[in-house]
Amino acid sequence: MVERSALAAVVPTEAHPTGSTEARGSFIAAPRALLSDSAWPWLAPVVSLLVVFALFPFFYNVWLSFQEFVPRERALEFVGTDNWVKLFGDARMWGALGITLLYTGVCLIVQVALGLGIALLLDSDDPGFGILRGVLTLTLVIPPAITGMMFLLLEDAQYGVITWMLQGLGFFETGSILGNANTALAGVMLADIWQWTPFMVLIFLAGLRAMPTEPFESAVIDGASSWQIFRRLTLPMLGRVMAIAVLLRGIDLFRTFDYVFVMTSGGPGTATYTLSLYAWQQTFSFINWGYGAAISLFSLFVILIVANVFVAATRLRW
Amino acid sequence: MSVAAYQSTGSRVLRALFGWLVVGVFFFPIYYWFSIAFRPESQVFTKPPLVFGWDFTAKSFEEVFGISFGGEQAATSLAGGGNFFMTPYLIDTVIVAVGSTALVIVIATLASYALSRMRIRGQHHFVFWILSTRMMPPVAIAIPMFFIYKEIGLMDTHLGIILVHALMNLPLAVLLLKSFFDDIPQEIDEAALIDGASRWTIFRRIVLPMAIGGIAATAVLCFIFSWTEFLFVLTLTQTGLKTIPVVSSTFVTSTGTAWGKMAALGVGAMVPAFIFILLVQKNLVRGLTMGGLKQ
Repeated sequence: MVERSALAAVVPTEAHPTGSTEARGSFIAAPRALLSDSAWPWLAPVVSLLVVFALFPFFYNVWLSFQEFVPRERALEFVGTDNWVKLFGDARMWGALGITLLYTGVCLIVQVALGLGIALLLDSDDPGFGILRGVLTLTLVIPPAITGMMFLLLEDAQYGVITWMLQGLGFFETGSILGNANTALAGVMLADIWQWTPFMVLIFLAGLRAMPTEPFESAVIDGASSWQIFRRLTLPMLGRVMAIAVLLRGIDLFRTFDYVFVMTSGGPGTATYTLSLYAWQQTFSFINWGYGAAISLFSLFVILIVANVFVAATRLRW
Repeated sequence: MSVAAYQSTGSRVLRALFGWLVVGVFFFPIYYWFSIAFRPESQVFTKPPLVFGWDFTAKSFEEVFGISFGGEQAATSLAGGGNFFMTPYLIDTVIVAVGSTALVIVIATLASYALSRMRIRGQHHFVFWILSTRMMPPVAIAIPMFFIYKEIGLMDTHLGIILVHALMNLPLAVLLLKSFFDDIPQEIDEAALIDGASRWTIFRRIVLPMAIGGIAATAVLCFIFSWTEFLFVLTLTQTGLKTIPVVSSTFVTSTGTAWGKMAALGVGAMVPAFIFILLVQKNLVRGLTMGGLKQ
């Protein structure tokens, strides 16, 4: 079977006008470049897309960060390193970086912990668990912009269900979650955690379900406790999946935009100003295109450093 | 793999109860949003909030999607005046999400197979470079794209959004697919190579069918990310197309938010995405249990 189709791939199909349809292969005739042992033809589409759509924006931003839009002239003007000097002395930028790091850290820890707990809970073949896993993925289908609106309603100062519940439980008497500088960031995080914990559950479940059964069976036979099995078997075997999930989620959390944009627009004051939002505001509200580009690049460098440290620390190799 | 099989009936019942409770908590905001979509506008803001016992009406739903469930004629004008049917935008969203998912899955599958089987020099750094393309704040990609798209005429087109969404999902797809391919034993490839099969044949006839579950799982995630993406569509379209996350902002007006309509749109937008998930669900389960192949 394999040999026959291999032959069909090497010999052009036109040479067999009477050849069976089977010999033609089922949906695509073999591209010649993909027959050999070289990896580059396989990588070519990805590389070309990334060069055009990722390298260009990067270099464009580098160039733009040395320019600034001058409203009087309605044109860009070269300003040297002004934007970068301004960036490092900008207290609001450092504030935004702090808030972004706090937001990323807290959300990541909560999402990993909750995600792992729920994944372990739902990793069962008993009836009903398939439905539970399906229902949980529903949160991912809702656009973050709409999720933001949803939580805006749930956290409404007067009519919100979450506010009402928290007041009923006596956490606070009056005032809103999002209107208070101390709680606004937590209010936004709640939406993020609600939406993305199921993403972690999904990835962790994939890892849990892919594990071989034998080590667990022998551990149970040998009388290991549930905690020992979790600590010595499950966690180490899940390590790589967890590292990749944390990396992907961490990157997205660091660039978070939709929730803060919809729910608080950075307020009250600067309590929920993230770097992405600050870059957006500098670009579109203040028309400081060059400065916006500098903030974006700075944000990129911070993630690059953190991600590199993380990859080295978790010994992730591709 | 689950240790549950070795547990007593009592703890299994407890586990099920706890599972329903946790999922119930996560489902609650969706339930509430759903109830907002199907209640009269006057019951959106009540004190205390009406969690149960609201009056059912499909009015918001009819207005948003321009369909009538019979009975009274649905009013179709919004505060701004004119018709505001969301169905065309729903179709735009489906085209963009399906198109970008198909594109990203095809090219990422090829690339991840090569990265999994035919290692290249500096592979670790190459994969990290692919990942790093997701690290740029979206604003910083949207602005240069805005200028190129204006130049080459991709502005305001489905193809333009499909390309930018494919780019956005590429790192995720390559990383996940590579790990799924890595799970398939190399020995299978080697045996086929010795039998004289080409790389393409092995990929097409052996590895692809075995990894189909992982590919389905990746496709679902890419679809969801494209389905819900907001900022690129906001900056790279004008009138040619709009997707659901972007049009939802039209319900936020200076005179207030049309909560019922926005909820109806949110609920309606969940349906096609959920259908897509159900369609690949069978493969998804296989993908999640595929590790059984591992020794």
